[in-house]
Amino acid sequence: MAATDDEETASGVTGAAGSAGALLAAALALPGVMPASALAQTAPDQGLVALKYVDYRDWQPGGDRIHVHSPSLYLRKPLSDSLAAEGSLVYDSISGASPLYHNALSGASGKGGVTDYRTAGDVKLTKYFDGAAVGVGAAISSERDYLSRTLSLDVRVSSDDRNRTYAFGIGGASDDIDSTNGIAEGKHRRTVDLLFGVTQALSPEAIVQSNLTWSSGHGYYSDPYKTIDVRPDHRRIVAWLTRYNQHLPRFDATLSLSYRYVRDSFGSDSHTVEAAWHQPLADGWSIKPALRYYTQAGADFYFDPPFPQGFSFGEPYTADTRLSAFGALTTGVTIAKLLPEGWQMDLKVALYRQRSDWRPGGGGPGLEPLSARWIQTGISKTF
Amino acid sequence: MRSLDLSAHPAPLPRHWVCIAMVVLLSGCATLQPPKPWEKGRLAKQEMQFGADPIDVRLADHIYTSKEAGSGGYGVGGGGCGCN
Amino acid sequence: MPLFRFSFDAMASPNELQIWHDDERQARTLADTAVADVRRIEAKYSRYRDHSVTARINCGAGGAAVAIDAETYALLGYADRCHRLSAGRFDITSGVLRHAWDFRRSPPRLPDEAEVAAATALIDWPSVEWSRGSVRLPRRGMEIDFGGIGKEYAADRMATICHEGGAPHALANLGGDVRAAGPQQDGSPWRVGISHPRQADAVMATVEIEGGAVATSGDYQRFFDLDGRRYCHIIDARSGQPVTHWQSISVLAPLCVLAGSCATIAMLLEHEAEAFLARERVAYLAVDSAGVLHRPAVAV
Repeated sequence: MAATDDEETASGVTGAAGSAGALLAAALALPGVMPASALAQTAPDQGLVALKYVDYRDWQPGGDRIHVHSPSLYLRKPLSDSLAAEGSLVYDSISGASPLYHNALSGASGKGGVTDYRTAGDVKLTKYFDGAAVGVGAAISSERDYLSRTLSLDVRVSSDDRNRTYAFGIGGASDDIDSTNGIAEGKHRRTVDLLFGVTQALSPEAIVQSNLTWSSGHGYYSDPYKTIDVRPDHRRIVAWLTRYNQHLPRFDATLSLSYRYVRDSFGSDSHTVEAAWHQPLADGWSIKPALRYYTQAGADFYFDPPFPQGFSFGEPYTADTRLSAFGALTTGVTIAKLLPEGWQMDLKVALYRQRSDWRPGGGGPGLEPLSARWIQTGISKTF
Repeated sequence: MRSLDLSAHPAPLPRHWVCIAMVVLLSGCATLQPPKPWEKGRLAKQEMQFGADPIDVRLADHIYTSKEAGSGGYGVGGGGCGCN
Repeated sequence: MPLFRFSFDAMASPNELQIWHDDERQARTLADTAVADVRRIEAKYSRYRDHSVTARINCGAGGAAVAIDAETYALLGYADRCHRLSAGRFDITSGVLRHAWDFRRSPPRLPDEAEVAAATALIDWPSVEWSRGSVRLPRRGMEIDFGGIGKEYAADRMATICHEGGAPHALANLGGDVRAAGPQQDGSPWRVGISHPRQADAVMATVEIEGGAVATSGDYQRFFDLDGRRYCHIIDARSGQPVTHWQSISVLAPLCVLAGSCATIAMLLEHEAEAFLARERVAYLAVDSAGVLHRPAVAV
């Protein structure tokens, strides 16, 4: 006799024991019965290697030109059914009268007109559980005068129907600043980041994500290469990002929209709106035009040149245009081609323009328009 | 962690931004039919996922943080850089 | 975009895979891959193949444990859930009942009590020692088979192969167990006919599925009628007696393996079937022994 002493038996088949839809959950544990993509928090079953190369240039009327060459490598590899590793490396070589990351540069220029560089890398391990995933990451970024180290932990938990995912994240960064002009030596900055996010599949054709991040840092924030640049020794940033993707079966296209609001204790609050249209074409080709509009308020301690009369020293002060009030528009297009055996190639061209009068109500009067363009080529392969 | 000192910046969200955000959210709610497990083929497409191309996201983020003050919202623990 | 249909025989039944595709060569490659997986599952789990995993496990009954892989472990885990949720009526060790119940014999004859008792004595899934790496049937003569799961599992995997191969507008039909990877090319549902349990070749109802699966369990597949009573091959593992409450139960569920086991368990649960199906949140069409149609009171 097949007598059993299971809890379901004890209370009867139709009793309270055994949760509703229990057999579906058990069936989903069978391998290959559902496309992996339908299940949130499943370990990738394929590795991916991707190479990208960015050629970046920016300019101002009669002003400086910066040119950045930036190759990068990304690798993702499943280590087991429930563990995946990913990592990336990027190297920026910067040439031009003024380096990208500082508003002035002191020191002998290096070989071939290269004036600065940056090397950055990160690794992340993600462990997948039934309906949840935990990731641990580390990142490092090194410049001649700047070293940043970051550790992070993120947890994602899915609802039973896998249509909603909650994300929690915490990250800590420790940065060291040693300016080449000796103004800032042995300076530090520590930052803690928190994230809470929700992703919800609204329908078979629509998905929305809303993230809140908090960042709190203290330490050295000033720009040592500016004659006078004094910033507060702490900075708090709250960002609210909402992204929405809608598939349009009529066109076989996908519309992506996003909005981000950033509140910054420096006073440079900002709004970002993005829209992109992904259109698959014949033979594995696709095209994605994209638009982005950004506008920020000037920092409380930003002053347009000339240096204000009667300024009391000791108060925060900056003339860094990155903290002024302006609007900016990016137009871009990405073309991609899927090739056999997991290969993919893509090309992206983007044009960025920043103007003070593109801020509603007008921005800083002393700001020269700034333009940038970048061309990004990539190739990737799944394995 | 210290409490967030944002009281010094009382500027409210401009009304038109709030409207845009709400329209986006409501248009989703109006058609709220969470997919069944077998209806997720479209959501699984690369273009329907957020941040499907990690390098692209990171490079764009890096370029923007070198030009703009605003940052955050996308995640935690990205590599920092000297662009204050 | 045309619809390509690929017919093939496997698992002792006629089968078909339908794929909407704009390229016949690619559709055929995909079908070949999917059919190869069905044959792989058949070779691996058929109890009639000497070198199958099932045969090796059954051969080792009463002896040493047999090593198993992750897929077999997953299937045993699913069979275990079915056993628990059916209060022991669904039992993958119940194949030994074929020694007592012979549905091909002519004229038919009822097994005597001793024959049934001898068979049910060997049905005892809870006594099976199974773990991630191995399985052992503790008594000589015990057998397992994946008869109630394997075909449906294979249908689900066919759909996944099509879906991941870029052809989500596909339908797999393995001997009447049907799984759609997605809707038809134009977004319209697939129409699946449900066989009439008493009129051969007649369609009792049509269900529409955009995805997910339909599977049917009935008393008309293997049976004999004797003295005005039907004895079918769906047998309660605990009593060793065929069930009589339903002529057929068809279940609509996200997965074929779920639809198939829900239909079989519901047949075995007899008067408790509808409560079970409601709790598993699946839709169904059930015909009781009087020929009356039952369906969920509310849409699932």
